[in-house]
Amino acid sequence: MTALTAHLKLLEAESIHIFREAAAQFRAPVLLYSIGKDSTVLLHLARKAFWPAKPPFPMLHIDTTWKFREMIEFRDRTAREFGLDLIVHTNHEGLARNINPFDHPPSVYTDVMKTQALRQALDAGGFDAAFGGARRDEEASRAKERVFSFRAAGHRWDPRRQRPEMWQLLNGRLGKGETVRIFPLSNWTEGDVWRYLQQENLDVVPLYFAKERPVVERDGQFIVVDDERMVFEPGEKPEMRKVRFRTLGCWPLTAAMDSDADDLDAIVTETLAAKLSERSGRLIDHDQAGAMEMKKREGYF
Amino acid sequence: MPVAALNEDIGLAPQAASAPHTGALLRLLTCGSVDDGKSTLIGRLLWDASGVTDDQRAAIRTASVNRAVNGEKIDFSLLLDGLQAEREQGITIDIAWRYFETPSRRFIIIDSPGHEQYTRNMATGASHADLAILLVDARHGVKRQTRRHAAICDLVGIKKVVLAVNKMDQMDWSEDIYRAIDSDFRALAEGFGFTEIMTIPLAALTGDNVVQRSENMDWYGGPSLLNYLESVDPEPLSIDAPFRMPVQLVLRDGDFRGYAGTVTSGEIRLGERVVDARSGLGATLSRIATMSGDLDVAVKGDAVTLELDTDLDISRGAVLSEAKRRPINADVLEARLVWLADEPFDPEMGYLLRTATDLNPVTSMSVSALVDFETLASTPAHACGVNDIADCRILLGRSIALDLFRDLPLTGNFILINAIDGSTVAGGVITWAQSGAPTVGDNVFVLDRALLARGLCADLGDSPADQAEFHRRAQEAAILLRSVGVPVLIEI
Repeated sequence: MTALTAHLKLLEAESIHIFREAAAQFRAPVLLYSIGKDSTVLLHLARKAFWPAKPPFPMLHIDTTWKFREMIEFRDRTAREFGLDLIVHTNHEGLARNINPFDHPPSVYTDVMKTQALRQALDAGGFDAAFGGARRDEEASRAKERVFSFRAAGHRWDPRRQRPEMWQLLNGRLGKGETVRIFPLSNWTEGDVWRYLQQENLDVVPLYFAKERPVVERDGQFIVVDDERMVFEPGEKPEMRKVRFRTLGCWPLTAAMDSDADDLDAIVTETLAAKLSERSGRLIDHDQAGAMEMKKREGYF
Repeated sequence: MPVAALNEDIGLAPQAASAPHTGALLRLLTCGSVDDGKSTLIGRLLWDASGVTDDQRAAIRTASVNRAVNGEKIDFSLLLDGLQAEREQGITIDIAWRYFETPSRRFIIIDSPGHEQYTRNMATGASHADLAILLVDARHGVKRQTRRHAAICDLVGIKKVVLAVNKMDQMDWSEDIYRAIDSDFRALAEGFGFTEIMTIPLAALTGDNVVQRSENMDWYGGPSLLNYLESVDPEPLSIDAPFRMPVQLVLRDGDFRGYAGTVTSGEIRLGERVVDARSGLGATLSRIATMSGDLDVAVKGDAVTLELDTDLDISRGAVLSEAKRRPINADVLEARLVWLADEPFDPEMGYLLRTATDLNPVTSMSVSALVDFETLASTPAHACGVNDIADCRILLGRSIALDLFRDLPLTGNFILINAIDGSTVAGGVITWAQSGAPTVGDNVFVLDRALLARGLCADLGDSPADQAEFHRRAQEAAILLRSVGVPVLIEI
């Protein structure tokens, strides 16, 4: 094992410790599964933490109905392969109001179809704890997050009232009305995630690998056209372009990048040399300064 | 097992297995007083060591113009302050975690707030660090806050400290100033358990001695901050340390029944005896199971599942240990803690003691001393509040398995939890522990009128009936206390 991958063993052990602490202390945990590379690592670690038993909690996917088709196929295949309970929730009220990423600003769309949907699903399932794949290196407000992130009633995050977390001791006692979000990948970086996927030889959604795809260039970002719901601006026409995704979300809101990296080795090399931060391809984060912090305060992950 | 074979085993296999645990990852805490330029130093370290991407650089350049702290210069602190309130007020409130790597090591930076009112956040951050960078302003030298931070680093078990003497540019790069601050700090640190202190003169704003060696301080022959961080030896993994694994969960699957946990010290091999420290029951280790394949040996830091040849009937909270050097079974302990909650310590409040994976109600607790940050001496006290470091005594209703923090930190630390709202009110380290009834004359718990009148008998007045009830309750309380091994004297 080389010096650079040696730390993955430490990160893995830390994540397993977190999963076990949570499973031992919470009544009804659930694993937020968003299909992307971080969720793949998260699920793999959950399986390791409880092996040979199965993870003692279901997976929850918030389906905005705007996920890439390849993501949905991957999700269903994964749940089948590991024999895991998969809960899929969509905010039907938002769907009925036709809240979509073309007619509504990203902040409104995200609030209704993701944040509100998540709150609905957590409340409906009676879950007191939800695992998420968020990492502290992703964004400024996430860099402030605890591993056990307590949320007041209504799932609100108050960054000024976070519980102190000392040593390896994770306190899972809930106050009245409180729930908790748990982040086993807190100390992982994007580079760690890819190196770990490589080392453990894990399968990810094919969208991460470079391939010719129909693309529209908009404000310098490449939007991949996934189905007939695409709303074109005047003069726009999809062109085939060799692109891949560094991060996966809803297809009209996640930009692809030019790349020739079509296997894990090439992606690891490309990621470690990257000059732009990962979330630069996430259109919802650029709405306004502190956008992520505001979404988190409202109950987003 | 013959001694020679044992030595041979220890000399070869465990070291190979342990290699990934040493030095691949360094967790460093940064702390300093307000305006010492801590965020700027870390921002500079990330900026110069390529922990910053191009779009982040562009955003910081734009934001720097808006804040214009250094005129045209880049405000490196913007890389660290993540919350809106922090950006508005230009201060750090909570710990920020940052990550970067160089070809030799992966780093986790734990940036902690300087303000005294956020000391609890600092203690939280410090507890995760292998090494602390204490920042002092060359113009002001060691301050009260520096002492506080050093005391907290020491309390939570940090052994290696870098004293970063910042803003040397504003003191004409003076060697005399550097030497004076260095010797002040070494004098202050005498009472602490630091094993290594490295004092580095630098200027975060100009980058001198942060990543590149400074050309302004020829008299300094040591490494730059980054050079030092890349080369500092991590705490040696002691292969002689006794084996401990607190049980997190019992995993069952068909015939499989295993104890899941992370090894907190030492190592264990197949065929060795394992005991449950509390019951004293033992079994032989028959399998070390992981999804990636079974292991022959599990060492400190490994998250594993242990299968034993006989069922010990234990559950979460048990500490598995080697047969020879076992944990202490104790129901009385003394500890040093940092109080984290806004609400001060209340002897009548219900608290829970959370050790490695165990959770137990505190029967009674008293504060005996506070650590004074000016003198670093303990002064007798009975109360403590937020940000205080206090010595205390805790009595439990039953014995639990624990170690002294100075011997085995991960089975010798704890948090105190408010039993009502679940909040974490204090974090502490065990300094002394004992089982059974303490010697009379040494630890007698005095149940006096004032103590009873404050809570248990607060509803009683002066009538003869009430006074009779007062005595009855005092006797009952004493019976309960004695039943858990506390010698009690009633004085009413």
